[in-house]
Amino acid sequence: MAGGGGDLGGGKSARRGKKGKRKAKKRLGFRLDMTPLVDITFLLLTFFMLTTSMITPQTMEMNVPPEIDEPVEVKESELLTIRIREDGIIFANMAKDNPEKFTLKTLQKYVADKNVALQNRCIVVLKSSPNASYGLVVSVLDALNAAEPEILQGLKAAGINERKRKFTVSPFDKVEDEERIKGL
Amino acid sequence: MLKIKKKRLGFVLDMTPLVDITFLLLTFFMFTAKFKSDSENQQKVEIKRPRTTVDTAKLAERDLVIIKVGVDSVLKDTAYYVSMINEQDIINLRRAMTTLKFPGVDEKSVSYKVMDTVQLAQIIEQARLVNPRASFAIDADKRLRYEWIETAIDEMRKKKATTFNFVTEKKM
Repeated sequence: MAGGGGDLGGGKSARRGKKGKRKAKKRLGFRLDMTPLVDITFLLLTFFMLTTSMITPQTMEMNVPPEIDEPVEVKESELLTIRIREDGIIFANMAKDNPEKFTLKTLQKYVADKNVALQNRCIVVLKSSPNASYGLVVSVLDALNAAEPEILQGLKAAGINERKRKFTVSPFDKVEDEERIKGL
Repeated sequence: MLKIKKKRLGFVLDMTPLVDITFLLLTFFMFTAKFKSDSENQQKVEIKRPRTTVDTAKLAERDLVIIKVGVDSVLKDTAYYVSMINEQDIINLRRAMTTLKFPGVDEKSVSYKVMDTVQLAQIIEQARLVNPRASFAIDADKRLRYEWIETAIDEMRKKKATTFNFVTEKKM
């Protein structure tokens, strides 16, 4: 500060003889009051910070088989059926076994185990009651997706490097499906 | 007390680094800010997206048909809101919908409120015709009954749109 001031003074005295031809030296100790600028900048900054939403939506990709007239025949022994009851309880079973209650965590483990055991041949069918909440259905799909890395690992250990995922959603049959998970 | 006050009398703090950083942040937020489009502004539907852990794919920004399913906060009814993203698609879809005499279509409509299955099938077909490459995304409220989504999936399946996306949010 003091040095700048001294310099400014020296400059002035030296220029006096030249009659102010160069104005640049006058700016040597120049100070602009930045306060209003900073005020406005902070205001804008807070505005933009508060209005931007950093959470961008993500997507979960789904593939469903196209609608075909004739039903595809599958081996029932390789069929893993997941049913979601309207009260939000998840049931799963292989083939003709009796459906059992599952939570999202245990379902993930179950699906992974079955897929590894059947070595890519397992077909997962999701049947959800129309009255179940969409959020729960997505959670189940999420659990199925989360099981994928585990399945890949299991298959690799069994010497298979390929993963063919067989998954479909199928309508919840009012009579048949309801009957199977009734009272459980 | 008096001594300290006197010491601060001519106190000047160098604000330059502060201002530098502030400007930097300001420019960053200004460039990344995304403002709501007209279609988002028009509707009063609030959607609570389901939260998932494993998806990492971001929603495409072009070639997209969005089917929103949500509850109108004023009328308290559930409906589908179908809209497209590309500028040209919006115009073409509007033209197609006007020709079909779809209820509630005017020169400014971007999003179409659909109440029943027949209309939903119609609009999905039109959207497929307008842009065959467009993929579908279902953006639904997690509290809704699955029936709403099942109906939409069935209609898309009938129109050979078998790959689609569920819009979700990352679980923290």
